[in-house]
This record gives sequence, structure tokens and C-alpha cells, in this order.
Amino acid sequence: MALKPVPDHVPPEMVRDFSLFTSPGMQRMPNGDPHAAVARVHGGPPIFYSPDNTRDSRGTWVITRAKDQRRVLQDSESFSSHRSIFASALGENWPMIPLELDPPAHGVFRSLLNPLFSPKRVMALEPAIRQRAMALIDRICASRTSCDVMSDFAFPFAVNIFLRFLGLSDERLDTYVGWGKDLLHGDSVKRTAAALAIVAFIDELAAMRRKEPTDDVMTFVVETEVDGRRLTDEEVRGIGVLVFVAGLDTVATAIGFDLAHLARNPNDQALLRGEPDRIVPAVEELLRAYSTVQIIRVARKNIDFEGAPIRKGDYISCATMIANRDPAEFECPNTIDLAREDNRHTAFAYGPHRCLGSHLARREIVIGLEEWLSRIPDFRIKEGTAPITFGGHVFGIENLILDWS
Amino acid sequence: MRIIVHKDKCQGHARCWALAPDVFKLDDEGYILPGDVEVAERDELLASRGARSCPERALEIDCTADALLARLLFNQACGGFK
Ligand code: HEM
Ligand code: SF4
Repeated sequence: MALKPVPDHVPPEMVRDFSLFTSPGMQRMPNGDPHAAVARVHGGPPIFYSPDNTRDSRGTWVITRAKDQRRVLQDSESFSSHRSIFASALGENWPMIPLELDPPAHGVFRSLLNPLFSPKRVMALEPAIRQRAMALIDRICASRTSCDVMSDFAFPFAVNIFLRFLGLSDERLDTYVGWGKDLLHGDSVKRTAAALAIVAFIDELAAMRRKEPTDDVMTFVVETEVDGRRLTDEEVRGIGVLVFVAGLDTVATAIGFDLAHLARNPNDQALLRGEPDRIVPAVEELLRAYSTVQIIRVARKNIDFEGAPIRKGDYISCATMIANRDPAEFECPNTIDLAREDNRHTAFAYGPHRCLGSHLARREIVIGLEEWLSRIPDFRIKEGTAPITFGGHVFGIENLILDWS
Repeated sequence: MRIIVHKDKCQGHARCWALAPDVFKLDDEGYILPGDVEVAERDELLASRGARSCPERALEIDCTADALLARLLFNQACGGFK
């Protein structure tokens, strides 16, 4: 593969032919294992330069060690998270909040939103989450001994809960999921169209809640205050768009990777089926082993980092799927040990931007697996089918046909 | 056993609380309450597991008091804080 040009300040010996988008194993493929493919970087240097490592084919530095990623994610003075990922697709420049704000502004908005997403708030949702899982699975097993987990369970489950959490009805669930897919995985035309649709939808929703408040998240956002003032339209949009995009398909994807693992590993499946108490720690291990998000930061100044001459404006990739397979951090990182202890993985990031939705996501995944295992007998990947996986900025799994006949 | 809480490092992962809800208390935002935690003997195993699952290394198992216990249980010097 011909390498793309690299900036002059990057020493040629630090350039590697590696990309979360184009390296072997990253393409859309049947029975792929993008996580194992990416773990191979640990055979190489702790930091290197990848010439083509974002959705829009920009180069990034790649930090492979968990320890070094922690330094980057903790040091927002040197490494900013403001990139206008979303707005730039529209030729605009407003931040998604709190993701693209740096401390101290970040903390103001984060404190505002934290109580809405706290572990206690999520506990109150538990019965609704469980009921939704049970209803979906009962419907599946009433008439069938096979299904596509992604379209029959993972998406309708996770997206419904998420919409309910935001205070939205799920009549347009398929439309929302379509936007999310186009935005994360579509070409540039689809991405722009999806971005426009989401912005219009959030703006409209905000206007509706201003006029007629209810008790949902968006009403909170339009009514709340920071520093003694209401939020601006841009701030409301920045929060609405982020929360909407961040929660759309992440949880469904995690459930997909988890059930694919259990389908392929009957011993693990039997263990969790026999001892459901093990599901909670097992989900942590599965989050570690099948992490899905690449975190990116931008250098705010020139800085020499572990021998790399990082210059102001350079992109730095802290891919969670790489850190969580670091042998210096996890014993036998490529072995999936559902009883692993001391599992300080960073699937939900590290530092101030720790995933705001992590408590909700964890409960959904745990409840999803609990109900699936208690209702569906021994399952395997249906003969003649293959789950399609892909790498990229957010790893994914497209289909998962299970069979329990 | 005592657990030293580095409140400034806490980012609200709530892993400590998930493993030992009786030991680690969170505020309304889901972040750990300030102040070190005295752990009753019956809670020690869970508490140290909770401390060692904190991704931010915000919880330090006080080694001076119970170095021997920590070594015996986990076969490592004070694991909670690296
Ligand atoms: C398994 C599912 C999920 C995973 C693996 C995940 C992962 C992540 C990661 C790695 C980040 C850090 C990004 C960065 O710093 O650049 C993040 C941030 C965020 N996530 Fe999630 N997420 C998940 C589910 C959710 C859900 C369900 C929601 C909303 C309900 C959500 C809302 C957010 C928000 C608002 C942020 C920004 C936090 C901040 O900047 O302070 N996430 N997530
Ligand atoms: S696990 Fe660590 S970061 Fe999370 S709440 Fe407990 S102390 Fe805070």
C-alpha cells in the first residue's frame, strides 16, 4: 500500500503502515476479528505515526500503551478534545458538549449533566430496561429458533431504552438508527445528510420543549442555567446532538460483540448460564476485549512525547481497543477471561471525558445478557452465516444470526 | 484497613461502588465522597477489589497499616495505586 504523505516534522522512521480504517482486518468482512488484528501493534513501538487514521483520512500519532494514553487523556493543557468533528462536516464550528470542551469549561457542563446520568438515576430505570428486554426476547422465541440479534434484539432494545431515557417515542426508531449508521459509517455525502437531519431534529426538539416542557432530558437542557444564565441555542444543540449520537448504536454494538463471543465459546456461555452472578464482571471483560471507540485529541502546543516530536495541531489517537489489549497492563490481554480481576479497562475512556452514559450502557448490556441467557437455550452462529465486522473510528458488527434449534 | 481517597482524581466511573456499595459512597453526580474510608474487616476483600478496579487510580489502599494483608491476599505490594 502506498503511504500518504506525512508532515515534515515526523521522522520517517516513526511512520508505520497502520490504520484503524485500512489495515488488514479493518475492512468490512465476514467472521472478522478487528480487535485481534489491532492488538498486533503491541509487537511494535509504543508510539508511531499513522498517515491515514481518521474518517477523513488524516494522519495521527498512535499511542499504543495504556500508561501513555492515560498521560495524554489526563493532560488537557497539552491535548485538547476540541475538534468540531460534527460541525466541521457541515462547514460550521460549534462544539459538541461536553465532549469537545476542555476543562475548566468542560467541568461546568459536566456537573450539570452528571446527575441525569448517575448510577442512581440508572438504577431507577432498571425495571423498564428489563421489561423491554424480556418482551423482545419472548417475542423472538415464541415463534423462532433463530434470529438476527442485531436487528431483532440489540438495536430495538438499546435504542428504545435510550430514546425513552431522552424522553422520545420510538416511532421513528429506524430513522434514528439510519442516521447513526450513515453518520458513523457512511461516505461523506451520507454523513453530511445525516448530520443535517440530526441538527434539524435536535433544534426542533429544543424548540418544542421550550414551548411545552415535560420532564425529559431535553427539557432539562433548555431550562437549566450555568453561571446564572440559560444556555445559548448553540450550547443546547451541542449537548442534544452529542447525547443523541453517542448513545445511538454503541450499546447495541457491545451486545452484538458479546453475544457473538458467547456463541463461539460454548464454555463461556455455559459458565454465565449456570452462574448468572458472573455476568457483571464478565461484561467488564467483554467491554475490555471488544472495546469500540477511538479517542482523538489535538496537540495544543509543541511537545516531545516519548521520543515523538508532536507539533501543535497534530492529531493523537488513543484507541481504547489498543490500550485494552496492552500486555503491560493486562496479563494475557488476548485471552478473554470472564473472571478477570483488577480490570481497569478504559472502554468508556479515562480522565475528565469518561463516558457520561457509561452507567446506563453497563446496565443495558448486563440486563440484555441476563435476559438473553435465561430465555434462549444453547445458541451458536447459524450454519452457513457469518457475522460481518468492521474496524474504523468506532468498531462494529453488522449482523449476528444465532441458532438454537 | 483504610483506603485513601484522592478525590481530585475521581472521574465518576463508579467501579468502586459497583463492587463494594457499602464501602464506597457516591455523591449525586456519581463521584466518590471526599475523605478516606475506614473499612471493617468483613468488607476488606470487596473494598480492595473495588479500589483496584478504579481506572483513575483514585483509591489507594493504605499500605502502612495492612501491608502484610495486602501481600498475602494479592501477592503483590500495594496493588490499589499505581
Ligand atoms: C458501550 C457503550 C458505550 C461506549 C463504549 C462509550 C464510549 C465512550 C468513550 C470512549 C467516550 C470518550 C470519548 C472521548 O473522550 O473522546 C465517551 C464519551 C461520552 N459518551 Fe459514551 N459510550 C457508550 C455509551 C454511551 C451512551 C449510552 C451515552 C448516552 C446516553 C453516551 C454518552 C457519552 C457522552 C455524553 C460522552 C462525552 C462525555 C464528556 O466529554 O465529558 N455514551 N463514550
Ligand atoms: S472507581 Fe475511581 S473514579 Fe470511579 S467513582 Fe470510584 S473512585 Fe471515582
